[in-house]
Amino acid sequence: MRATPMHSAHLVLASPMQLANCLTEIGRQASRLAFLLLCTLVLASVIGCGATPPAYFRPNMVESTKQRLNPEQERQVATVLLAMFGTPDHPVALAETGLNEAKLHLAAGPVRSDIVGRKNGLYREHCAHCHGITGDGLGPTAAFLNPYPRDYRPGVFKFKSTERADKPTQADLVRILHNGIAGTSMPSFALLSETKIEALAEYVKYLTIRGETELTLIRAFFELDDDAKGTLPETREFLVEETLTPIAAKWQAAPAAAIPVPPIPANIDLVASIAKGRELFYGDKANCVKCHGVTGLGDGQANDYDDWNKVIVEADKEIRSGTEQASQASTAGMSPEQLADHRLQLVWLEKFHQVLDGDALTPRTIPPRNLRQGIYRGGRRPLDLYYRIYAGINGAPMPAAKGTVPPEDIWHIVNYVRSLPYEFDGELGADRPMVAPNRF
Amino acid sequence: MQTSSNNKFVDCVHRAAFRFCAWRAATAALVAAFMAVGCVPQRVATPLADAEVAQKIRATLVSAASASGSTPEAAASTGTGWGTLKGRFLFAGVPGAVRPLAVDKDTEVCSKGGMKLVDRSLLVDPATKGLANVVVFARKASRVKNASPSTTPVVFDQKQCEFLTPVLAARVGQPIDVHNSDPIGHNTNIAGSSFNQLVPSGQGTVYKPESETGMPTAVTCNIHPWMKAYAVFRKDGYVAVSGVDGTFTLADLPAGEIIELQVWHERSNGPNGALGLEKPDLKWTPKGRFQIQLQPDEVKDIGTLDVPASVNGT
Repeated sequence: MRATPMHSAHLVLASPMQLANCLTEIGRQASRLAFLLLCTLVLASVIGCGATPPAYFRPNMVESTKQRLNPEQERQVATVLLAMFGTPDHPVALAETGLNEAKLHLAAGPVRSDIVGRKNGLYREHCAHCHGITGDGLGPTAAFLNPYPRDYRPGVFKFKSTERADKPTQADLVRILHNGIAGTSMPSFALLSETKIEALAEYVKYLTIRGETELTLIRAFFELDDDAKGTLPETREFLVEETLTPIAAKWQAAPAAAIPVPPIPANIDLVASIAKGRELFYGDKANCVKCHGVTGLGDGQANDYDDWNKVIVEADKEIRSGTEQASQASTAGMSPEQLADHRLQLVWLEKFHQVLDGDALTPRTIPPRNLRQGIYRGGRRPLDLYYRIYAGINGAPMPAAKGTVPPEDIWHIVNYVRSLPYEFDGELGADRPMVAPNRF
Repeated sequence: MQTSSNNKFVDCVHRAAFRFCAWRAATAALVAAFMAVGCVPQRVATPLADAEVAQKIRATLVSAASASGSTPEAAASTGTGWGTLKGRFLFAGVPGAVRPLAVDKDTEVCSKGGMKLVDRSLLVDPATKGLANVVVFARKASRVKNASPSTTPVVFDQKQCEFLTPVLAARVGQPIDVHNSDPIGHNTNIAGSSFNQLVPSGQGTVYKPESETGMPTAVTCNIHPWMKAYAVFRKDGYVAVSGVDGTFTLADLPAGEIIELQVWHERSNGPNGALGLEKPDLKWTPKGRFQIQLQPDEVKDIGTLDVPASVNGT
């Protein structure tokens, strides 16, 4: 119908057909617009018109419920923590923590730029979606990851250059941020500047010191004398000197707790060393084979839990046995006091159950590492493997070889482990098939 | 002509509207439903901090003045001499059937000769009804008879994939000989401590506890996860574990002062395993604590303590 474009009359007085097409098009546009409008309305109704509520630190509900704190006691812990550590938007650090507040402010708060254009709020930009605002490893994506993101609150870290029970050094945290953790969802942040990585490491320390303080305070209620009337003393002596300082001191002592590493034996024959390491791996002394398996695929003892998951497993057990016991108890012969106790127990069991539903992830067993993949979470330098074998892995079942296996023998095991991904599988013999175990 | 095209137009609009309704509205409804329901389970409401109180607390925490204002702990009554406390736990119920443990590794050692390892969380002596492995320790004592811990190691052995001491009690600083009498290797992992070490067969390694445990802490072997024991370490060493017949003895307690004792049992349903008994004469609390006061050289026997089945499970 584009026959006579020269005649303007045709353009003005378009045929009814053209008019209809045009109107249909308008109708389509209108419907699209209406759809967008509807979506906006739905969104607005769900989100609401008010400002976003400020970010908050979620209390450790699993521990406070386990310790049977009443609401007033839970409130006291929250209040004391607010006094000692501030909020996610405005963190404060007492001098005793040894933390640098300027670094904390760079990492804390919502993502924003300051007056000279520097980006702040690094933790929420890079970490919070997995590790959570509180550092409890319960960020929105946590449930979808395997392994789960680290919960900093117990103050336990796996990959470090210090003795098993000691805290990692600043350099250890920075190394993890820089390299990421191979074989997990933890990415490398090597593209961030050194200042930013240092700030994030500082903020992780802040969250873990806060979390450990919280745990200590919650557990302190049980230790209270009966004349304390269930209230913690809000004095400097108790809160700072007895509670905070011992936790912070462990962080300050970390550099001094470095694992002594003897140099790799000089003019070592690598073939002989690997053979020696293999002997130790399968031997009763180092006993690696029991968990990492005769094939080295991580298919030995594999139904254990790490410390973080064990807390949930134990809590679950407590609820189950408590419920079983409560359901078997007959209320007929109970005195009024016993009946009241029985009802309180039922209420507590129900609350604990709900807390585990919302504040904990489904526990997972910890598989021993498959050593034939050449993927080492704590780093693949020979030194990293030495640290892991010497001190074990804190929070995980991996025990320390320290004291049992002499340092030079640990180097032999390191050499054997590093050779495992390249070991000819025929060496295992026909009775040891190389089949990787099921993970779930 | 005009009318028909008008009809066509109306048709078109109708069709467009319908398409919009069917597809887009369905999508929008789904999105809305998802948002309203959410993907996470409802979380328990948490307490809100009191900002005003927090500000006041903070003021005391940062001011150096209050630091010097803290008074040293009031000196406890200073008596002289030492006394002994005795007692006996009896299980006032019928213990359920003994539960075998799931032993699925190293069966040639751990189930040697058809031997079956059993759950030891509730050990009741069939003859005397004595309840074993109840822990009693002093919460605070102003004086300690032996200033330093004994240097004789406590032996903590494991044989046939079982810890021979179900509850290990020791003083902080006292050497513990963690031993392995099995022909296979074990590891010993004391929860909450720095200790998780390999223990090769026929060998031992010495561990000196660095700090108090509070309530007993779990000891496990990660290679054989059914292996379980408990450990309790006290600075003053005032800790006892009831024997097979349910008796316990705490010797050399400071006389002349009120001593509060804490009682624990693995199966107790009290907080943190605290064993709460109904004993008003001893001021026994639901937190599993009771009080005594001894005279010099007194041997006080608090007699038999009946532990009802409802407290410890059947």
